[in-house]
Amino acid sequence: MTARLLEGCVLCAPATAAPGLAEAHQSLRYQAWALGIGWQEAATDPDYVLRLPQGGQVQCELTLWPDHKAPGSEFTLQAATGLMSIHGRARHPAQALGLPYLSCLTAALALQGLLAAALDQLRGGQPGRVSLSMAAAAMLAVGQYLAGATAPEAPEQLLPGACPTALQPPFCSADGIWFELETLEAGPWRAFWQALGVTAADAGKGWNGFLQRYAKAIAPLPAALPAALAQRTFDEIVTLAAESGLAVCRLRSLEDRARDADARALWQQGPWHFTFAAPTQAPVARSGGLEVGRISRLPLAGLQLVESCRRIQGPLAGHLLACLGAEVTRIEPPGGDPLRAMPPLSGEVSARFDALNRLKRVTEIDIRTAEGRQQVYQLTRLADVFLHNWAPGKAEALRLDAATLRADHPALIYAYAGGWGPQHGPDLPGTDFMAQAWSGVAEAIGRAAGVAGGSLFTVLDVLGGVVAAQGVVAALLQRQLAGAGGQVETSLLGAASLLCADSLSRLLTGMPAVTPAANALQAVFSTRQGRLAIDCPDRPHLLRALQLPADTTPTQLADHLLGQSAEVWQAQLQAAGIAASRVVEDLCDLPHDPRLHACLTLAAYVEANSPWRFQ
Amino acid sequence: MSISVEIPTLLRPLTGGLKRLDADGATVYEVLQQLEQRYPGLQDRLLKDGAVRRFMNLYVNDEDIRFAQELATPVSAGDCLTILPAVAGGAAGEGAR
Repeated sequence: MTARLLEGCVLCAPATAAPGLAEAHQSLRYQAWALGIGWQEAATDPDYVLRLPQGGQVQCELTLWPDHKAPGSEFTLQAATGLMSIHGRARHPAQALGLPYLSCLTAALALQGLLAAALDQLRGGQPGRVSLSMAAAAMLAVGQYLAGATAPEAPEQLLPGACPTALQPPFCSADGIWFELETLEAGPWRAFWQALGVTAADAGKGWNGFLQRYAKAIAPLPAALPAALAQRTFDEIVTLAAESGLAVCRLRSLEDRARDADARALWQQGPWHFTFAAPTQAPVARSGGLEVGRISRLPLAGLQLVESCRRIQGPLAGHLLACLGAEVTRIEPPGGDPLRAMPPLSGEVSARFDALNRLKRVTEIDIRTAEGRQQVYQLTRLADVFLHNWAPGKAEALRLDAATLRADHPALIYAYAGGWGPQHGPDLPGTDFMAQAWSGVAEAIGRAAGVAGGSLFTVLDVLGGVVAAQGVVAALLQRQLAGAGGQVETSLLGAASLLCADSLSRLLTGMPAVTPAANALQAVFSTRQGRLAIDCPDRPHLLRALQLPADTTPTQLADHLLGQSAEVWQAQLQAAGIAASRVVEDLCDLPHDPRLHACLTLAAYVEANSPWRFQ
Repeated sequence: MSISVEIPTLLRPLTGGLKRLDADGATVYEVLQQLEQRYPGLQDRLLKDGAVRRFMNLYVNDEDIRFAQELATPVSAGDCLTILPAVAGGAAGEGAR
C-alpha cells in the first residue's frame, strides 16, 4: 500500500488565491497534501502548475467564471448557479449550504484536470494546460436537476419552498433528537409506520414523497408522519425501526464525527484509499495506454473504462472520465437500467439519467449469471479501469472483486465508489442522506442556517462522484509512473471528510474555529424583484458602493435594497468589484446568464458541459 | 363503466401508442391480466415473480398499491389505475448507491 500516492510531484500555486477562490485554494492544498504532492507557492504565476518527478509540467487556470471577469465567491455562486434554489426546495427560503461546497468541488476537479493532463503528457501528448471555473463545477453539480427542469416532456417546475420544510426530513423525536431514516424498499417503510399507528394510506403517500428525495430534492410527507414521530422518544423509534428493517441515523455533529476512531486516519489519508503493489517490473505498456501523436485533444483518449454503476455517485464518476476522453462502456442489467424510465423524459430516456450517462456505450449483461460474469471478464481484460458502486460484499459474491479481475490483468485499475470506505463505517445503508447524517455534514448545513440539518440536494453523491473519478485519474497516473495497476476505493464518507476537511482539522488538532471578520457581510436580501446574495469582506466598501453613509444600520441597508431589483443591484455592485448575485430560483433562468454561457449547451434539455477545457 | 389505465410514455410502444386504456377486473391483477391478453409483453414489464417490479409503481386513484393489498387491491368501475416507472432515483436495486 502507498499511503501517499504521488510523492515526487509538486504543485506550484499562487502565493495568494484569486479573490473568491481562497477556499478552493485551501482545499486544493489539502488534497495535494493528501495525495503526497508537494506544495510550493510562487509569487508571480497566477496558474497552478503541476511538476512531474521525471520532468514535464502541466498547468491549470482556475477562475470563478469561464470567459468572464465578474466578481464572485462561494456564497454568491451558490446563488447564481441554482444550488441555493435546489437546496431551498425543501429548506425555504433559498439559502446557502453553509459549507464550502463549490470550492471543494472546484479544487477536486482542478486537481483531476491537472492529473489527467499530466497523464496525457506522459502518454505522449503535448504539454498541457487546463482551464476550470467554479461556475462550471457548479453546473456539473446541478446538471441532473437542470436536465429535469428543462426536459422536453413534462419538465419539473420546482421552486424554493416547493414543499413545506416542516413536513420533510430530517425527522425529530419527542425528546428533541433529529435523525434521518433510510430504506430502499416499501416493505420496511410500511411496517415502521404501521407500528407507529400511521394509516396505510398516509404511509403510502409518505413513501411517494420519500422516493422523490434523490431525484428532486424534495420529500413531501403527510403531516401524520412527523406528528407520529414527535410522540415517541428516539430510543423507541430506533427499536421500532430495527424491528421493521428501517435504518435510523441521528444527525451527528462534526464534533461527534471527529471523536470517531477512524476520523483522523480518513482526514490524513484523504477521500481515496489506494492499494498499489510496490513496482517490481518495467512500466506496463497497455494497448490503449501509449499512443503517440493522438489526434484527440482529450487527455484520457484511448483509455477504456468499464462501469457497473447505478444512481448518481458511480455514473457521475464515469461521466467525468468520459468528459476527459475515456471510452466508457456501461454495463446495465437485461432490459436496461430501470432509471432510464425515470420521468421527465428526453426522447425515450430520462433526462436526468441522460445527463449522467449520455457519453457512454451501453452493454446489457446479467452479471449474476456465470455467462454474464464471463462477459464482464472479457470486457475488463481489455480495459484500463473497472468501476462499480455495488453494495459491500457483492463484488466478492459475484466473483468480480479486485483480486479476481486483476489476477490475469495486473495493469487494471479496480475502482470502487462506495458508501463508507474500507474502514467499514456504521452498519447503515451507504446512501447520501445516511452519510450526511453520520458524517456531520447534515448538522453543519443546519447549523449554518439555524434550522434542522441536511440538504435534500445530493451533496455527497455528487462530490463522491467527483472524488471517485479523481481517484481513478490519480491511479492511472500512478500506473503510468510506477508501472503497475492497483485499486482505489472512495466513499461518500470520504467525500464528507473532504468537504469538512478544514473544520475537521481544527477539531482534530484543537485549533480554534475561524470567526468571520467583523467587517464582513454575507447575506441574502430581499429586493424589489428577486433576492440578492451579497458577499463582501469589507462592509464600508459595500456602503460606499451603494452611496450609503458609513453609519447605516443593517435594517436601513435591508430597506435600501428593497428599492431596486436584484438584477440592478447585481450590476451595480459587480461594477464596484463586489461579489453579488441574484438568487436564481428557476433553473430555467440559468442559460440566460451570460456568465454561464460557456458552461451549458442548449440541446434537447440544457446540458452541463464538461467542466474542463484543455489546450 | 370500466377501469381507466394510464400508460407511461416508455410502455406506449407496447400499447400501440395509446396513453389511456380501458379494462375490466375486480383486482389490479385481473386488470393487468386482461391487458396482457390485448397487449402481450406489458405484464412482463410490470411484474416479476408475481409481484410489482421494484422500479414500477402502481396507483389506484393515487393510492400506492404497495400500501393497500398489492396486486389483490380491489378496483371498481370508474377507478383509475396509474402506472408510473421509477418515480425517483432513490428506489435503487440491491443496495447499489
